[in-house]
Amino acid sequence: MTQVLRCDHLWKAFGDLQAVADISFTIDRGETYGLLGPNGAGKTTSISMVAGLLPPDAGEVFVAGERMHPRATTAKAAVGLVPQEVAIYPDLSARENLRFFGRLYALPQKELDARIDAVLEVIGLTDRASDRAGEYSGGMKRRLNIGIGLLHEPELLILDEPTVGVDPQSRNAILESVESLATDGLAVLYTTHYMEEAERLCDRIAIVDKGRMAAEGTRRELVATIGEQDLVRLDVAGDAPQAAAAIRQLDDLGSVDVEDQAVVCLLDGAAQRLPRLLGAVAEIGVAVMGVEVREPDLEDVFLHLTGAALRD
Amino acid sequence: MKRIWTIARIELTRLLRDRSNLFFVFVFPLLLVLLIGAQFGGGGGVEVGAVAPDDEPAERLLETIEDAGGFRIVEVEDADRLRDEVSRGVLSAGVVLPDDYGARVVEVAPTEVAFIGRPDSTAASVRAVVSAAVAQQRQAGQAAALVDDQLEGGDRAALRTLALDLQEELDGVSVRAETVGTDEIGEQFAGLGPFDLGASSQLFLFTFLTSLASSAALIQLRQYGVAHRMLASPTPMRQIVGGLTAGRLLIALVQALYIVVATVVLFQVDWGDPLATGVVILLFSLVSAAAGMLIGAAMRNDNQASGVGVGLGIGFAALGGSMVPLELLPDGIRLVARITPHAWANEAMAEIVRRDAGLGDVLPQVLALGGFAAVLLVLGTLTLQRTLTR
Repeated sequence: MTQVLRCDHLWKAFGDLQAVADISFTIDRGETYGLLGPNGAGKTTSISMVAGLLPPDAGEVFVAGERMHPRATTAKAAVGLVPQEVAIYPDLSARENLRFFGRLYALPQKELDARIDAVLEVIGLTDRASDRAGEYSGGMKRRLNIGIGLLHEPELLILDEPTVGVDPQSRNAILESVESLATDGLAVLYTTHYMEEAERLCDRIAIVDKGRMAAEGTRRELVATIGEQDLVRLDVAGDAPQAAAAIRQLDDLGSVDVEDQAVVCLLDGAAQRLPRLLGAVAEIGVAVMGVEVREPDLEDVFLHLTGAALRD
Repeated sequence: MKRIWTIARIELTRLLRDRSNLFFVFVFPLLLVLLIGAQFGGGGGVEVGAVAPDDEPAERLLETIEDAGGFRIVEVEDADRLRDEVSRGVLSAGVVLPDDYGARVVEVAPTEVAFIGRPDSTAASVRAVVSAAVAQQRQAGQAAALVDDQLEGGDRAALRTLALDLQEELDGVSVRAETVGTDEIGEQFAGLGPFDLGASSQLFLFTFLTSLASSAALIQLRQYGVAHRMLASPTPMRQIVGGLTAGRLLIALVQALYIVVATVVLFQVDWGDPLATGVVILLFSLVSAAAGMLIGAAMRNDNQASGVGVGLGIGFAALGGSMVPLELLPDGIRLVARITPHAWANEAMAEIVRRDAGLGDVLPQVLALGGFAAVLLVLGTLTLQRTLTR
């Protein structure tokens, strides 16, 4: 596989805040790589360094073999950035927006016209190409936002939370587009705080928290960090921390955490051990209102690694 | 250069796309030029006051003035009241005929018609018409007297000699002009067309105001995230800043050139020496563009930028002589006005338009405007560069 992006030990601080601390990863051609973490985890700062918007305090970024920095032109030409905000001119049409940004990438006129038509087709805005972007729905604006990033046929596409504030239908359309782009051989760096998006799209995922990479791997590898354990969730009516303390008294349990009015446990052989758990909670007079037993997901991995829920 | 032009052109396109801008950029400046022109001396509906005795020569003189100039004669009780009404602008000008005007005209005795006017072009026009009407009546009186005296006969040569002698010796009727208001000011505005004063002063007001008000576009650039997207492209920072600077200059130049062309076509405004005027307008546009860039880079949101922009635009215009001519401001204020580019630009245009000055004559003003442009451009580009990467 051809390596498109390499980040080596990136560090970035803003005053006293260490936004990114020693982040390293690579992305190959045709691979979708996810940065999964809550808001403020350092995802946007990381991609700002990858896109050449910010210089790292330490470490290096290479895109398509070229070192990326704020004055790099060759490396920047290989990157398509889709920022978290809808970065378009609302008073220009989709076609005018695409033409403007295409010219910033110095695309020759004929090629630009052809690419604009192709991109409009991909993002499904051919019929509305001459309408002002300010009149588009949120989903259409998001699609145009992505289209601008694709216009110059980059080797690496950076998508920073592209589905924030998008209706379910448009969200699904965006996710399908990203899947198809990766299939076409594009390297995609995808940041999100939606676990299900990362699970669906990403070949490999880095879990980022407080500027650091807590873990990295495929979904299967990340889930395996918890072990071959099952997840048991008990929704309780009484004192959840007290219930968690009672469960911790039992032997051979993995982790036991409190999440709102629920106790979340990781343990082997949940089906056999569930009666003992329920008994321990009943003994201290806490009522169990619901029970869920399932395989853990990335949300659980995040909770296991950081001690906090992904949405926090 | 292509990328700089691409960015600059999009800035202008966005300004013109905003319909609310169209009124303030294209309609409002011309309305103000028209309003100021009408106030300063627009031609139509000129009322001339007259203090005159009730006799035939006086009536005939006033009729001649009325017909020749297309004015409306308004009778006024006395000279003091006439002077007051002219100075307050109620009447455009006035004439005062002596009580024995009729008798003196018939006798071809020396007579003085007093003319009262303000220091503007309308008064000058009325005065010319009054002088011509009076001369015509004097010639008629002289001819009548000549024929009356010589009706008994005599040869033609003697009559001719006599007529020439009479022309030299007889004082006849003369016009004594009196300008009410300030005599010095009258001189300052001499020779101006009705719209000449308003055109240049409004050009500076609106070029600066439009540039500052449109600086909100630079803030939107950051708010929309377009600035980051531009910086993520292979377009170097210097070209992005160059394009945004060129965009602001393009906006200022379009506003200025529109006012020049429209006022020439619609109001026949005289802009003086093209080279001198061109240099002054170009430099002032640069100053406006750089000031707009500084505001757009320094302010945090577009409401703040619009508020500060309009406030500074109006304030500088008022202080710098774009609302009231500098010549009418007290000396102290005129001194303070020099902190505004408007004052230098208006002063330069006063020299160019009123006194036919060339580029060499307005060199101090040109240098001052160049200084403003240089300082603001350096501050504006540095601040913009810093805020774009924020």
